[in-house]
Amino acid sequence: MNMNSKRFRLWDLPTRLFHWLLVLCVGAAVLSGQLGGKLIVWHGRIGLVIVGLVVFRLVWGLLGSTYSRFANFLPTPATIKAYLRGEWQGEGHNPLGALSVFGLLALLAAQVATGLFSNDDIAFHGPLATLVGNDLSNRLTGIHHLVSDLLIGFVVLHLGAIIFYGHVKKQKLLKPMITGWGEGEGPSATGGGWVAFVVALVVALAAVYGASGGWLPGPPPLPPAAETPNW
Amino acid sequence: MKFKLLPMLLAVTLAGTAFAQVKPEDAIKFRQSGYGFMAWNMQRIKMNVEGGNYNKDEVIKAANAIQAIANSGMGALYLPGTDKGKGWEETRAKANVWTDKEKLGKVAMAFNKEANEMAKVAATGDAGAVEEQLGKLGGTCKGCHDDFKAKR
Repeated sequence: MNMNSKRFRLWDLPTRLFHWLLVLCVGAAVLSGQLGGKLIVWHGRIGLVIVGLVVFRLVWGLLGSTYSRFANFLPTPATIKAYLRGEWQGEGHNPLGALSVFGLLALLAAQVATGLFSNDDIAFHGPLATLVGNDLSNRLTGIHHLVSDLLIGFVVLHLGAIIFYGHVKKQKLLKPMITGWGEGEGPSATGGGWVAFVVALVVALAAVYGASGGWLPGPPPLPPAAETPNW
Repeated sequence: MKFKLLPMLLAVTLAGTAFAQVKPEDAIKFRQSGYGFMAWNMQRIKMNVEGGNYNKDEVIKAANAIQAIANSGMGALYLPGTDKGKGWEETRAKANVWTDKEKLGKVAMAFNKEANEMAKVAATGDAGAVEEQLGKLGGTCKGCHDDFKAKR
């Protein structure tokens, strides 16, 4: 790093960990979903991890450090207009980037939520599928497929934006997401200490447990070896 | 003899037609029944490999049932015009079933192959191999669902 260039704390470690784990998991989920077969079981497991990641990020959006907090980058029509006119000042997510963040989070939430109730018409169903009827499960499966396409589109847009900012606006977005340091004069991020992290982690783990259906009353209590004809 | 041959030929021809033709509504119903019945047997195999309580005979029964249906020539139930219509429920067969025949033929044959293999593997009673084969078989089901079965 150049000795006289300024830098400041931008993305805290939990935000970066969240981001890169999400990259891994979404990649693995897309792959296992497309390939199917034996991997569909892993698709389900990865989905549960994504539940945890998304819920963690939602809590971290309230308790995390400065630039990770939703209140810090909640876009409004006014800030978007200002940004498009080139008058927006700030660090972290710009108003358009913020829209993309909320869009991605919303799509991810919809994707894992529908996935939990889905089925593949073969021999796999989401952990909560037994809570809804077959018709609703089929409908949610349809939405799951639709959102999958939207999500892939959004990820492509996200990558395109990073390349655009790097080449056209000479703004490196990738490096801060790795190192945590932003370049420039911005004030360093504060807040989001250990307590906040533990709270977010506990809420996330609770969500994973809820989504896993581990609390469901076992496999439906089969009547003790129902008497059926043995032909 | 000559006077008897013609009516006989006619009778055979008619019988042949009657045998091949199923009412469209029934054709859709039979299709759905076949897949539904296979779904039950897929579940049975899955429960056996997952439950830690493997029952060789159960798995053999299930695998043989899937194999039998796979080799029953269900293609005959895809009558022209049955991309729409109701069997037990509205059909989810997409129109490309009738247009993209080459690709569909490939995925159908892949399924038959794995279904035959599943019956063989089930006969060995090797739970690990059955689990492996169940994944392969499921993958070939998906091969058709992805492109030829309408999502809702």
